[in-house]
Amino acid sequence: MAASISDRIGWRPAARDGLRRLVPLAALVGIVLTIVLLAGMGDIVLQRRVIFCLIHVVAVVGLYIFMGNSGVMNFSSAGFMAVGAYTSALLTMAPGMKSTFLPDLPAWLAAAHLSPLWGALAGGVMAGLMALVIGIPIMRLSGIGAAIATLSLMFICYIVLGNWTALTGGQQSLMGLPSYVGLWTAGLTAMVAIAVAFVYQETRGALALRGSREDEVAARGSGVRIVRERLAAFVVSGFVTGIAGVLYGHFLGTLRVESFYLDLTFLLVTMLVVGGMRSLAGAVIGAIGISILTELLRLVEVGFVLPGTSWSIATPPGLGDVALAAAMLLIILFRPQGLTGGHEIELPRSKTSTSGLATTSGNTGTANV
Amino acid sequence: MIDPAQILIDAVSVGGLYALTALGIGLIFSVMRLANFAHAELVTVAAYMLFAFSGSPVAVAILVAIAAAVLLALATERIAFRPLRGADSATLLISSFAVSMFLQKLLVFLVGSRPKALDPLPALSRTVSIGSLQVSALKLVTIVVCLTLLAALTAFLKWTRFGLQMRASAENFTMSRLLGVRANAVIAIAFGLSGLLAAVVAVLFAAQSGFVQPRFGVQIVIIAFVATVIGGLGNLFGAAVGGFFVGVVTILLQAFLPAELRPFREAFLFVIVIAILLFRPQGLFPARNLKERV
Amino acid sequence: MTAIAGQGGGRQGSAETLAPLLSIRGLTVRYGPITALDGLSLDVGAGQVISIVGPNGAGKSSLLAAIAGTVKPAGGQVTFKGQPTIGQPLEQTVRRGIALVPEGRHVLASLTVLENLRLGATIRRDTAEAAREIEGFFKTFPILGERRNKSAGRLSGGEQQMLVIARALLSKPTLLMLDEPSLGLAPKITDQIYAMLASIREAGVSILVVEQNAARALRVADRTYVLNGGIIRMSGTEAELSGNPDFEAAYFGLAPRGGAQ
Repeated sequence: MAASISDRIGWRPAARDGLRRLVPLAALVGIVLTIVLLAGMGDIVLQRRVIFCLIHVVAVVGLYIFMGNSGVMNFSSAGFMAVGAYTSALLTMAPGMKSTFLPDLPAWLAAAHLSPLWGALAGGVMAGLMALVIGIPIMRLSGIGAAIATLSLMFICYIVLGNWTALTGGQQSLMGLPSYVGLWTAGLTAMVAIAVAFVYQETRGALALRGSREDEVAARGSGVRIVRERLAAFVVSGFVTGIAGVLYGHFLGTLRVESFYLDLTFLLVTMLVVGGMRSLAGAVIGAIGISILTELLRLVEVGFVLPGTSWSIATPPGLGDVALAAAMLLIILFRPQGLTGGHEIELPRSKTSTSGLATTSGNTGTANV
Repeated sequence: MIDPAQILIDAVSVGGLYALTALGIGLIFSVMRLANFAHAELVTVAAYMLFAFSGSPVAVAILVAIAAAVLLALATERIAFRPLRGADSATLLISSFAVSMFLQKLLVFLVGSRPKALDPLPALSRTVSIGSLQVSALKLVTIVVCLTLLAALTAFLKWTRFGLQMRASAENFTMSRLLGVRANAVIAIAFGLSGLLAAVVAVLFAAQSGFVQPRFGVQIVIIAFVATVIGGLGNLFGAAVGGFFVGVVTILLQAFLPAELRPFREAFLFVIVIAILLFRPQGLFPARNLKERV
Repeated sequence: MTAIAGQGGGRQGSAETLAPLLSIRGLTVRYGPITALDGLSLDVGAGQVISIVGPNGAGKSSLLAAIAGTVKPAGGQVTFKGQPTIGQPLEQTVRRGIALVPEGRHVLASLTVLENLRLGATIRRDTAEAAREIEGFFKTFPILGERRNKSAGRLSGGEQQMLVIARALLSKPTLLMLDEPSLGLAPKITDQIYAMLASIREAGVSILVVEQNAARALRVADRTYVLNGGIIRMSGTEAELSGNPDFEAAYFGLAPRGGAQ
């Protein structure tokens, strides 16, 4: 962890190659930017949907940073989001609001009134800190052990936050968060999160981690180093996921512990798995794809008039959720590598063809080793 | 208030339900390394069947509930888990999550998310006096049923042909198949048994709680997951003991934890789980030859 | 001994029958970039004992695994009793008449000695007859009889090997495949195991045995193949190979492909 950044980032010497390596990043940032610009032309309802989608992009990218690079399951995202969200809420809410909803807060916390940016950073840092403290013991677990340990961590967050009434309001909703998250806040944060994940996955540590992912036996053999690199990934992942929680709270203006439970956990893991957990493109495309599918299903559920006809189509409420879960199940069953198959978005290898983007084999890093 | 005998009865009746649920999960984990989260929906669907047949005689309702849970268990195996056989256990866990969510949403769609009141065992809603002790008849029956089922399952595993094949498969599936054990049959039997256990748990648990909703089985399955990890993943004896252990710990925490910490009692269980994964990954009762499993 | 070896007899053919019992053509097995078997061909006739020798990593275990079906070959054909075996479910292997004694013995340690043997008879309908054979085995090996209700994992290495061979025979196989049956065992126990193989052969069961111990492999077999680097380097009878300098060279990978065939 003490090594300098330049030491840890292994940029290739050849400039042309270096630029080529930025294509996956540029493509994903471009996708997000396009979405933000298009949504900017839409109405407020659409914008709210898009913001929600972008928050999920941040959360899934956060999840990817650990799960994608290490290959170790992590079911604790919802917990990190909750910690980030509540930390920022408590530090940025107006003291008057806090005295109404949380009369039993300790005095120093009741008086705290940070700016949104500092509050957000504090939320991310708190989540990262939790990742560090929990990660030190649990990073040596793999497979089913890691899955159950992280699931337990999510349950612990849920139970503690849901019952720590003085701090969170318990089962009550916490209201009055400054709602500063708009389209550009969410969009820019998503782009920064993608950039962080990209820079991280180009570091030597992440490379070593992806090497270990292919071969768990070797990873166990190489022991200490892999555990340390996993921990680094877990902390970065916790920070980014915490930021996603911050966005969530300051977008809705309200927090409920119930929101950070199994449904969210499942949604985030599925977004990553559906997109393809072994590439950053998979994380982004999975989050966007599932969001779009959710919206389409919601649209069908609300009912709409078929253009040019007088037929209106509406499915009974709840069918959309069923279809969504079915779609996720089908992708897990029939395309376990996800939509991207673990590939990044890259230029076609032939030098003449520059038109269009194509996905090429291998994930950055491993493919370049 | 804190009568040791009363606490013991509470602990065993709660622990018995956890033990049966943990066994249902453990049976499947031991043969195919799937930690089946969708076990929750087997319990839930069985409870809804009890609700749907609440006008019929109790025995009919229970038989329908058992049949539904067994069929659903077999269907999930055939449709969702068979194509993934041999996948690593983390992938299997994710797919069982997906199955669980799918069934849960389907239930919400079909019957709505509001709780439905039911009383599947009305005859047991009274207390029985044992000496100076007033005990709920339901709790006593729960204990008796749990212990009977545990004994029956043990006998099945120990003395029947399929029981032998299941134990062999749990230890070494490939070797067992080379000796002629049919993978599909063993796995189907494991799923069928887990459906049966889920249905029994649904009857007893619904009688205790008095209502059913689409997340009915989730809570108990989460706790049973804890029990299987504590007992040692893939170890059936451990799963049963782990279930009782968790029951005892829950009741003790409830009885003796200071009031302000009581709401957090389940968090302690999960802390125990993480500690066991770290320090005794084979569980408190390590199964032989399971080193490669966790 | 006769109790278990007395089965499978009756329909043994001579080694010169028309179609071989087991026929392998162009069998190729790869693990990622590594080629373990490279287009291997060989036959096992009914009633024959064939041994395969070669150093560690020669591809011997991959050969048995591909025949048994635990490894999916990248190419080639395996025909047993005229039927192709590749791609069939694993539990069909023993039903077809192929029993495998894998390397490292693989007793089911959580089961008792008796349960291990009963599992060996999984595919049989004549359970009473199988039970009699198990009793016969216990008479032949009283040490195992005494421990019938003890965990099989507590047996010594030699006892485990006896148990695993007996377990394989309880399925009444036509072909018994053994992977390094003497590995890690004392010479005296190895003698016993090879004596056991001899009587199994007399009962008409064909045997395909993989060995690192070349002398043993030559003595027991009608024909021995030398496998190295996934290729058969030479083959012959004990008389042809024993003391042949090419044999040693082939074993250590010095001879050209198909050297002295």
